[in-house]
Amino acid sequence: MRPGDSRRRLTWLLVLVVAVGSLVVSEVAERPALTNADRVRDLAGDFACPVCQGQSLGESDVPIARTIRSTIRTMVDRGRTDGEIRSMLVDRFGENIDYMPSGDGLVGLVWVLPVMVGGVALAGGVASVRRWQGRGGGPAPRRPLVLAAVVAVAVLAGVLVAGTASDRSAGDTLSGDIRSSSRTLLVEAGVAAPDEAVALYTRVLEIQPSNAEALAYRGWVRWRTGDAAQGRSDLDEAVAVDPAYPDVRVFRASQRHADGDHVGAAGDLVVLDELEAPPIVGDLLAASRLRQRIATGLAASGELLAAVELLDSGLESRPDAAALLAERGWLLAATRSPELVERGLASLDEALAVDPVDPYGLAYRAAVLATLADRPEDAAIDVATFTGLDGPPAELVDLLVGTGLLVAGTGSGS
Amino acid sequence: MSPVRSAALAVGLVLALLIAVFATRDTNRDRMTTHLVGAVAPAVVGTTIEGSTWDLDDQRGRWVLVNFFSTTCVPCVREHPELVAFAAIHSGADDVRIVTVAFDDRPSTVATFFVEHGGGWPVLTADTGRIAVDWGVVAVPESYLVTPSGHVAAKVIGGVTLDDLEDLLARAVAVVP
Repeated sequence: MRPGDSRRRLTWLLVLVVAVGSLVVSEVAERPALTNADRVRDLAGDFACPVCQGQSLGESDVPIARTIRSTIRTMVDRGRTDGEIRSMLVDRFGENIDYMPSGDGLVGLVWVLPVMVGGVALAGGVASVRRWQGRGGGPAPRRPLVLAAVVAVAVLAGVLVAGTASDRSAGDTLSGDIRSSSRTLLVEAGVAAPDEAVALYTRVLEIQPSNAEALAYRGWVRWRTGDAAQGRSDLDEAVAVDPAYPDVRVFRASQRHADGDHVGAAGDLVVLDELEAPPIVGDLLAASRLRQRIATGLAASGELLAAVELLDSGLESRPDAAALLAERGWLLAATRSPELVERGLASLDEALAVDPVDPYGLAYRAAVLATLADRPEDAAIDVATFTGLDGPPAELVDLLVGTGLLVAGTGSGS
Repeated sequence: MSPVRSAALAVGLVLALLIAVFATRDTNRDRMTTHLVGAVAPAVVGTTIEGSTWDLDDQRGRWVLVNFFSTTCVPCVREHPELVAFAAIHSGADDVRIVTVAFDDRPSTVATFFVEHGGGWPVLTADTGRIAVDWGVVAVPESYLVTPSGHVAAKVIGGVTLDDLEDLLARAVAVVP
């Protein structure tokens, strides 16, 4: 063996030791203690949503993913180890959802196979180079030039990595921590306490200043928790960023209605009706009766036409919405104009044809029949049906008591 | 044979072996339809929409159909009349009971649904996410037939029909009288 060979081998051995040592140290080095929220986020990011394509539990917002996240949070809070939680999830939902499968059995091949293939490829490469060198005869390779090229590539890669390092937080991976993506932050914010949620939405906006979802939800949380001015500002900005984002239209309509701006609130809902909003938005609107409350506010401020237009706008997308038909009929009848009372009654009849036990339809029609149409017998039938309902809204009970159709406290017709 | 050829042959053989193994092993779908079958049924304890406490363990000695449901799920709404018919047929003998675990739903909406569509069996609405995770429910509707000894006899993913349920029960009773 020539002296140069042993020196070269020593150099390569040193390089190998430094490389492997660096990897080992970086892996076993003490990392900052994880909070419970960090652990929940990490675990949720390590498992696939069972019903989604390509989304982790942390990223998905389907009910089962939210439920599993909540279960993980409960288990973490109760002091369960990551291993116990992983085991529970795999037991319940199968190993297919585990992004970090164990090394046991057939699944262990996902760890072994890349190493095997890499080893075989390396062996093949070495064998090819040796054979190529063995052929000889050709001109000697220009080693200094090749070495310079390799060093240049290494330096360039180092500079690029260093350039992105400032974008990463401690503990994040080289390519950026996917679990800290804005999507994950938004999902976390959705289940966080208000103060924490605002902080999470703000983090999203630091990454994506024009994220309409973060602006809308931060505005909504702020407004609901008393930070009205900032809330309004966020909601207005979210609308400016994405006028077609349905959620912010609902939030701002609610905010404007509470602020007494019924016309502005109605405007947001009319825009919403023209959007292709997910069904849940319509369900939320129906459950909150926001549209009806805005229409009542408009009618009370003398804007009956705008009120009816707002209800009709909702009826275009949901023609069988008994609650909207009932509200429409009530507002028309409340004008006491004979022609509009007739039209109002027709609308109430239509509401009850769609849903014979709609509490608003029953109470409104009873009140109109008894006080405006002089048909007390028909009103009594509606009142009887109404009193048979389980837990009717208190405001309707008050209405019927006020019109003398119901005896206060008894729940029975007068 | 040269080393490169040997290596290529080895890689090819390993890949072929893997393809054969993965192509013939159980799919996740198989696992989904058999998960829990034969195992002791996880706990189902909760408060019904009427406010009383219901516990699956109190039903030992009877067959129980545990149905995971949501009013926002179309197949759930579609299967509901079938469940009502199944309950009506077995109400006299009281040999099978149904419990509905409403998942990710508002209690008031569920209560209204049952008033409007029938179904006099216990319906749990509070803290049902925990129950769904314990049972490994992925998407509603899912139904589990539990034996009188408290073991899961069968699992049905998706909507059920009266005929399906009767057939399932008859086959289960034949195996576990």
